[in-house]
Amino acid sequence: MKLYLYGIIDSSNQTKESIYGLEEAGVYNIPFCDIGAVVSEINQPIQEVTEGTVLEHEAVVEKLMADFTVLPVKFQTIIDGRDNLLSMMRSYYQDFKDNLERLLNKFEFGIKVIWSADKIKENIIKTLNKEQQKKLELSSSPGKKFMKDKFDKYKIDKEFEAKADKFIKVMDIFFSKFAVEKRIEKLKTKNLLLDAVYLVGKDKESNFREAFEHIKSAWPDFKYLFSGPWPAYNFVVLSKKSGLLREPEQADLFDKVTQSQTLIGAEII
Amino acid sequence: MNSVVVKSKEVTLLEILDRVLDKGVVISGDMVISVADVDLIYLGLKVLLSSVETIEKLRGSPFVGPLQEAR
Repeated sequence: MKLYLYGIIDSSNQTKESIYGLEEAGVYNIPFCDIGAVVSEINQPIQEVTEGTVLEHEAVVEKLMADFTVLPVKFQTIIDGRDNLLSMMRSYYQDFKDNLERLLNKFEFGIKVIWSADKIKENIIKTLNKEQQKKLELSSSPGKKFMKDKFDKYKIDKEFEAKADKFIKVMDIFFSKFAVEKRIEKLKTKNLLLDAVYLVGKDKESNFREAFEHIKSAWPDFKYLFSGPWPAYNFVVLSKKSGLLREPEQADLFDKVTQSQTLIGAEII
Repeated sequence: MNSVVVKSKEVTLLEILDRVLDKGVVISGDMVISVADVDLIYLGLKVLLSSVETIEKLRGSPFVGPLQEAR
């Protein structure tokens, strides 16, 4: 009997309501000590990943989230029988337990901020041109012009990065106030300024949403994607080498940006 | 208007795909028969960005505000 694993929960009890998962099979909890592995029986690994199967998986995790703390397991994790599953639970127990305690009463929220990179660069170029107008007149030989063009491109790229850092720094100050953990990625693409996930306590959810509204109104020219609450997909930290390894605490991306620079940046931008 | 709704759903779906397919606990060992190995993230991101831009166009005004994807 193959078992499709949806998640690990902080309970050895069965779900209050009947849940149906992939292949419309009944979902149930296999207890191990005081935690449990939520599974349904499956005939064979899913041959084709479809929107439907992904949504069925997510629907189960979401229903579990209503009553339990959940460690969501990666899509299509199938274990060969109950004995193997219990053996896995034994080997991962302490990791699971530590994570369940750390993530108790907390949700994940996703924030994406999109800016127009082209417009930002246009503004940078305008500013640079104004500053350099006089110098250009004094150094218009071909060699000097070539060097100047190269240097300008470098300066534009540096300034673009610096602006991104400053924006994100300010936004992160607001969000971090109500979050306990975070993962931040800057400029995944030139237009995706910020791709972040924050772990937020249930009691801070409304504050976090308010912080988001505040940021939104502060920079109405940007586009925003706010998602959540999610189970903590991005915040499960396993110590086993074979498991999902994450850095315990993300290094501050913006070490070099001081508080005063941040405020200056906010005003300029 | 319907197109906006459809595109919003696409964005939501991409957020789900991003998590379910790429994140979550990875259990490894002999007892595991299979784990999904689907790299849709780059594709997903491109679709997401284009979806957002399409929504802005459909709304007729750039930067009209957030796409609130809370479920």
